[in-house]
Amino acid sequence: MKNVLLVGAPNSGKSALFNRLTGLQHKVANYPGITIDVGSGALRSDTRAQVWDFPGTYSLNAISGEEEVAIDALRSALADERPAVVAMVLDATRLEKGLTYCLQVAREAARSKKPFLVLLNMMDILEHNELALDLDGLRASLGVPVLPVSARTGNGVEAAEAALLNASAAQSPWADTPDALIEGSAQQIADRFVPQGELLVRRQAKIDSWLLGTASGGVAFVVIMTLFFQAIFTWSAPLMDGVEAFILGLGAWLVPLVPEGIFADFFEDAVFGGLGAFLVFVPQIFVLTLIIGALEDSGYLARAALICHRPLSYFGLSGKSFVPLLSGVACAIPAIYAARTMSSRQERLMTYVAIPLMPCSARLPVYALLITVLIPDTTAFGGLLGWQGLVMSGIYFFGIVSALLVASVASRLGESESRKQAFILELPAYRTPNILPIIHASVNRAGHFIQKAGSIIFTVTVVVWFLGYFPNGGEDLSASWLAVLGTWIQPVFEPLGLDWRYGVAILASFLAREVFVGTLGTIFGIENADDDPAPLAERITESGLTAASGAALVVFFTIALQCVSTVALLARESKSTGFAMRLLLSYLVLAWIAAFAVHGLVSLF
Amino acid sequence: MSLWSLSVGASASVSSVTGGTGNAAAQRLIDIGFRKGQTVSCLLQPGFGAPRVFALGNATYSLDKETADLVILTDDRPS
Repeated sequence: MKNVLLVGAPNSGKSALFNRLTGLQHKVANYPGITIDVGSGALRSDTRAQVWDFPGTYSLNAISGEEEVAIDALRSALADERPAVVAMVLDATRLEKGLTYCLQVAREAARSKKPFLVLLNMMDILEHNELALDLDGLRASLGVPVLPVSARTGNGVEAAEAALLNASAAQSPWADTPDALIEGSAQQIADRFVPQGELLVRRQAKIDSWLLGTASGGVAFVVIMTLFFQAIFTWSAPLMDGVEAFILGLGAWLVPLVPEGIFADFFEDAVFGGLGAFLVFVPQIFVLTLIIGALEDSGYLARAALICHRPLSYFGLSGKSFVPLLSGVACAIPAIYAARTMSSRQERLMTYVAIPLMPCSARLPVYALLITVLIPDTTAFGGLLGWQGLVMSGIYFFGIVSALLVASVASRLGESESRKQAFILELPAYRTPNILPIIHASVNRAGHFIQKAGSIIFTVTVVVWFLGYFPNGGEDLSASWLAVLGTWIQPVFEPLGLDWRYGVAILASFLAREVFVGTLGTIFGIENADDDPAPLAERITESGLTAASGAALVVFFTIALQCVSTVALLARESKSTGFAMRLLLSYLVLAWIAAFAVHGLVSLF
Repeated sequence: MSLWSLSVGASASVSSVTGGTGNAAAQRLIDIGFRKGQTVSCLLQPGFGAPRVFALGNATYSLDKETADLVILTDDRPS
């Protein structure tokens, strides 16, 4: 089997070309013998050949740990004895930015006796703008085959496939060229062959002057982000409701077929309840990936990162953290996926650290219940504002500030690479998004969530169900093993003035934070507390929950990472279960300390 | 003067990229084409201290102050 190693600079259209070459048969896998995930797929015209889409970089000189890993992976693949051809994708419109890397890889390929060729992409844009490029001259200067292609239109792709299949190692002029000469040669070739296309830059600058202008850029950013979040959270709501209704309907149809008792209860609560709890996120993840893909492909996402970079850099975050963080206000699951657009692992990790503190919508029912218990329904400022609403705003503000502060502290403690990393961001040309590959990627992402995170979420759901169901067959939650666990951990919550009932509700809320309300409802004997928390709030008030303990609970929920879906996805996306577990434990400890401090403070009054 | 000092619409030639061979940002700037003799122009200076936008050949890059200050320019030329 022949391997095709597809390499190139970011924004060279490498992934789009990969999609053309493989017919969208993209999957993420480990290249044999190396440890990083790269996209792979069989060549469309000859499925015996496997195409590998290596991470984009500008040079073999890494400037970050992540680039180093990617470059090492490429070197290992080149050193591998199996037959492989190296295809360097160059952006014909911005030839100069990829030439140093091109010559560096050409040299490495020659030393490894691997065939090397250049796929000169985006030729359609040159043609559209009536710009010329001396292909024969470029071939002669590079001393390697150069094939003009357009990933966008498909022109030249067939010829490129044939060239990849028939490529053979030839004498290369670059085999013994030192670095200094590589840079000089790249410059000479660029000077001679780069299309004189100021037209391209001018057209882009015109749009940028509006989208990045101080006033107009701010307005455009707010409008685009408003539409973005409307799409994710409002427009995907009917799809989410549909999935939920489908799972419930399926459960209602299938559960009666199972004999009453433990199996029926298991299928109803653990299987269908558990499936519903995480499958409901699938449409949201699909829509999020679709919109982010469209924004990225259009060229706007890079501009949004630029706009947000300065304020977020104060907190050790990058401008690219903005979209994931804002997504986290609604739900951490799409937020974690949104962080995939960040190329630096360190920046991604810092964003992962901040996301769980963003006030997600699952916390809302918990806050609503506790505010109803703690804050009288009275108004302030001459009846203009309600105290309960003001406190809710304060809690949200506290969550956002906590997220930024924790990211700031973590980046300083960890000697974060992101703090030291230079901000060099290429602004890709504006263009109409290529929708088909984006839809394909969105379907893949949703499938990835179901396969990878779903299995962990479902396992934990079953464990919690098991503990809550036994030993009395689900008759009385207060006599279940979950309640026993609640009693065991009571000493942990006693300093906060909370008894075992709250301990059980907190344990159960690890499935999803909003479960806290339903569990307390069950314990206090209030039905449908999820839909109407007022009777439960009344019962909690009667039970003597103090203001100090209530405030401690609010603070605990603001900080604690009580969401199995989030932890599972953090482990998957960071490729480190240890990182996810450390975050879970750190936030639990921090939440308890902050809650204890608030309990002590409020008790003084 | 450094690249950060270039006013919007102005162009200049790159004289050098400072920071030494061990400076990753300097190395990356050289890799993407900020080399002696290349003409660079400032396209935009977004407000609130945001990174600025520069054109180099047909490519546009956004650089923050610390990075742009690594690029030393020789002469101002009309855009």
